Amino acid sequence: MSPKKANSPAADKVSASDLIENRGKLLALIERAQDGAKDALPDLRKVLDEAPRIARYIDLARNVERSMVERMSGDDLFTREAIPHNLKAMRKEIAGENPSPLERLLAERITVCWLELQYFEAIYLQNLGDMTMTQSEYHQRRIDKAHRRYLSSIKALAQIRKMAPSMQINIAKKQINTAG
Amino acid sequence: MPWESRERGGIYYTRTRRENGRVVREYVGSGLLGHLAFLEDERSRHEREERAARWKEEQADLDALEAPVDELSEALDLLVRAALLASGYHQHRTGEWRLRREPKKSQ
Repeated sequence: MSPKKANSPAADKVSASDLIENRGKLLALIERAQDGAKDALPDLRKVLDEAPRIARYIDLARNVERSMVERMSGDDLFTREAIPHNLKAMRKEIAGENPSPLERLLAERITVCWLELQYFEAIYLQNLGDMTMTQSEYHQRRIDKAHRRYLSSIKALAQIRKMAPSMQINIAKKQINTAG
Repeated sequence: MPWESRERGGIYYTRTRRENGRVVREYVGSGLLGHLAFLEDERSRHEREERAARWKEEQADLDALEAPVDELSEALDLLVRAALLASGYHQHRTGEWRLRREPKKSQ
């Protein structure tokens, strides 16, 4: 354990909602826990208890989704209806039965990352003939980043599920087993 | 300036370009010929500027779309780490998550 980190200002008591809003503080807390500081764990558990606040990320994901669907479908109303329908089915399938709030969030993330990747690839392919070399490289870099985000989103959910037998997270005052 | 006046009188339209790192000035002509070349160059320049502006706008548009996905991903990575740590796991230096072993209490 690094004593420097354990005595850092991040060790000061902060509320869970403050930690959710301030990612820098949360990261500092995580690093302390990672270094073995047991006193960081109660605060981390408090963060996970704040499910309604964490749920704001679902809103964020849905806003991004809506914005991409609008761009992808343009004036085509059928596509505008069909994509969210498919995404909903995809989310449900990924989240599985009785998902924990965290699993539900991770399923949202996988879906939105998948949609983002599809969108960037579609733009690239649509403009392939008209692009300069610089523009093509720019689009490829963006696709690569989206692809990395997508893979990392899948990995995060797989990780949570792998740890499932021994993981119990107390979210919103309910003891929830993360096993799907 | 693309228009150049001569000592003998009259103005010439010129084009400047770079060739093997050297600046080369080409004399296009005076009168109607010079004027037509000037109009053609103006049109090309305008088109280039419009294309560049469109490209910049497209980049900003895609950046705006990517930023919230990035934010969501970062936030959820932190939550996953928080959940794993709170459940007694630690990240080994190889990146793998392992259950933290409690040291045996000596009696």
